[in-house]
Amino acid sequence: MARSVTINPPKMCQPMGAILAYMGVHGCVPLVHGSQGCSTYPRYNIARHFRESAEVAVSSLAEDAAIYGGAKNLTEAIKNVKSRLNPALIGICTTCMSETIGDDVKLIAKNALVPGDAMKIIPASTPSYVGTHLTGYDNALRTLLETLAAKGEPNNKINIITGVINPGDIREIKNMLRIMNVKSIFLTDISETLDTPIMPGGHKPLLPDGGTLPSEIVDSANSLGTITLCRTAGSAAVYLKNKFNVPAVLDPAPIGVVNTDRFVQNISKLSGAPIPDEIIRERGRLIDSMVDVHHYMFGRKVAIFGDPDIVSAIVRFAAEAGMNPTVAMTATRHKDFAPDIKAVNSEYSVDTQILEGTDLYEFHKVVKTYGAELIVGNSKGKDIADDENVPLVRVGFPVYDRVGVYRYPIIGYNGSIYLLDQMTNAILGHKYDPNKLHQ
Amino acid sequence: MTTILPECDIPIPQRRPHIVCHEPGNMVLPLCNIQTVPGDMTERGCTFAGCRGVVGGPVKDAIQLVHGPIGCAYYTWGTRRNLSDMKLHRKYCFSTDLTEESVIYGGAKKLLNSIIEAHELFPEGKAVFVYSTCVVGLIGDDTEAICKQASEKIGIPVVPFHCEGFRGVSQSLGHHIANRTLFEKVVGTEEPETTTPYDMCIIGEFNIDGDAWIVKPLFERMGVRVLSVFTGNASFSDIPPMHRAKLNIVQCQRSSTYIAKMINDKYGIPYINVSLFGMKQTAEALRDVGKFFHLEENAEKVIAEELARYQPEIDHYRKRLDGKKCFIYQGAPRAWHWIEPMRELGIETILTATTFGHKDDYEKIMSKVKPGHICIDNPNALEIEEYLVKLKPDFFIGGLKEKYLTYKLGIPFINGHSYEEGPYAGFEGFVNFARDIDVAVNSPVWKFVQTPYLNTGTMEVS
Repeated sequence: MARSVTINPPKMCQPMGAILAYMGVHGCVPLVHGSQGCSTYPRYNIARHFRESAEVAVSSLAEDAAIYGGAKNLTEAIKNVKSRLNPALIGICTTCMSETIGDDVKLIAKNALVPGDAMKIIPASTPSYVGTHLTGYDNALRTLLETLAAKGEPNNKINIITGVINPGDIREIKNMLRIMNVKSIFLTDISETLDTPIMPGGHKPLLPDGGTLPSEIVDSANSLGTITLCRTAGSAAVYLKNKFNVPAVLDPAPIGVVNTDRFVQNISKLSGAPIPDEIIRERGRLIDSMVDVHHYMFGRKVAIFGDPDIVSAIVRFAAEAGMNPTVAMTATRHKDFAPDIKAVNSEYSVDTQILEGTDLYEFHKVVKTYGAELIVGNSKGKDIADDENVPLVRVGFPVYDRVGVYRYPIIGYNGSIYLLDQMTNAILGHKYDPNKLHQ
Repeated sequence: MTTILPECDIPIPQRRPHIVCHEPGNMVLPLCNIQTVPGDMTERGCTFAGCRGVVGGPVKDAIQLVHGPIGCAYYTWGTRRNLSDMKLHRKYCFSTDLTEESVIYGGAKKLLNSIIEAHELFPEGKAVFVYSTCVVGLIGDDTEAICKQASEKIGIPVVPFHCEGFRGVSQSLGHHIANRTLFEKVVGTEEPETTTPYDMCIIGEFNIDGDAWIVKPLFERMGVRVLSVFTGNASFSDIPPMHRAKLNIVQCQRSSTYIAKMINDKYGIPYINVSLFGMKQTAEALRDVGKFFHLEENAEKVIAEELARYQPEIDHYRKRLDGKKCFIYQGAPRAWHWIEPMRELGIETILTATTFGHKDDYEKIMSKVKPGHICIDNPNALEIEEYLVKLKPDFFIGGLKEKYLTYKLGIPFINGHSYEEGPYAGFEGFVNFARDIDVAVNSPVWKFVQTPYLNTGTMEVS
């Protein structure tokens, strides 16, 4: 893409991802060090995707900060969040403004604490002009570990780095680990904090229940190993490996047959747990679901966009299901993206076009050239799907024009079944001859 | 003393003057339009939001180009429900997507190229609006010069808005910047093709969920020619001839009185404030306009037709809603626009709050409410939660960010920013509004919030 102007970018800025990482930690209040829009916009985005409230503090930087720096605002913000909410952690995200004026957030955070303070501050650097929301998630998670993780007794657990995935995905991975009888630490875990119940009497805790405990983050240095569900959030795994010798497995997202097989084997290898029949039965149901639909789906052209780990894993799964992935697009550059897709191209004799670091305007042009009978991506794909008169299967973040997408997994064997059924039903529901569907 | 410090604010006593309980005879207005207390979990947005999101954003055939890192463009892409009959402004998101290199060396070249490319790819764009975000203000790109250069090259207006997010205390300054910029750079640059004695602009009407499509025809049926709507479903070409109206009416009196006043000061065009919500207020607005243009009979005819058609439906909903109590938390004007309409449905507003109200907004609120009414300036999430729990309104009209908090507390909610199923303006829109309140309040879902279990976890046996 040789354009200066970006048109329809399926990517957000670092604070968005950092807030999501922090929201998966129990008792952690995200604090954006920047203008008020820098907290309000991500909150809005979280609200419309998860249909949950997201309480995020902001240091409300204004003109005086542009001249004198933002230390005064950040110090006061930390004090006020602490005195009103008494959180275990405050997770700071910086912004383009605070980074450009050059605030030393680590120092300000250190000075804001008094000796013996139980509360910890996570001073992540997340400038909005570097990378995307995924960079922000990665930076916040790594900073959480850099600040908290500490060597102790071996805990016999596996660290699972989630990345920007949904509560339904996390619950499915937990389910698999339960079946395998493997103990785990999720880094981090939004499955409860961003999918909260309405409780009797409308009683609600000040900060949401659930999330990874700060003590678990401390203990992550003592795990058997770390496995990423999204490699874009992998720098924390590398940190644990370098600092504490915790083995790191940065593998593709467990979507589809082969990627989930790898995930299960990684768990088994790191934990020493055998792979139980129940997992083999789940796998068998995925294969069964693929067999059930292969006549409908063989050769179907599918174009996929979104975050790199999710896109490359769905490309592989589509190929496994006999489909023809024509275009794979991500706005976030990642070193594994192109090699992942090229491997699928060579293994399955398909010719998936690789678009990296570009926008949906470009994606649409390439879709027109290479064709698609189905588009898989977030809500921002709707106009393209409408223009091409093909269905859109909604995955990723954000999905705001359908309900409940965050509740269901697309990860693991069960998630893959759900995703394939969605794709198949989209094809069947869209211009498919109903006479062919009676038997 | 009528100011209040809620429990959640005990550690931040500077919030006290922002929260008042209305006492007639001892009227105190909430302290307003000042910097937010850092870290207080404010619901406020930024100056960019007010400029790009509210006032500039609805102009349907302008290429809305955000100059800055990607986030600000993304978050304002199609989010505010300012509908139009053209796809450009909601379907497409344009950004210079500034990265570290531009922050160090400046973003001028990238901006110039972006404007030219966007124009080449989207010739249907009749102007380019360039919005500066925080980082642009800090690195000091001369957007005025770049936009001038670009405009000369591409032959259409390129309008720079200096709306860096950190300026001001809230969205409010962004409204002002958008008004001033459009007034200074666009209004008066072209004459209307024709004029009539009945030319009027509707100012501060952003066509949220189709509001403008409801209210504009009401005035047209009276015989008024609506020269421009500022800026709901507006074409860029609707803005230059605004100075030739005979009258301006102002609906959103926070975001847009500025331009009405500037047009008045420079061109002597009078403006009147209106509330185009609810049956009585809408009728009053039509009467005021009718009086100005000497079209009183026409106004009465339109009002009679509308009331005949819609009042029975309002009466129906009143029966279902009479006696309910509500909270209204809006940007600013809708907090007071909706107090009287709620009464038409038998509903009393017991708490109002605004994100960025000024003194005049709070005066308007206080002139409409009963003793004991709570009024909060720039409320934060904890205050909202505390008051929802304490006063237990039958429903809450707020924005998306408050919606799910309210649901978790078991309280019905209506999105007053983008609406549930609008439009809500005018006579017809008020029926939608009443219906949505009825849906929220009388849905069977709320009765399930309480469990039938005893504390022991067993079913209660009756």
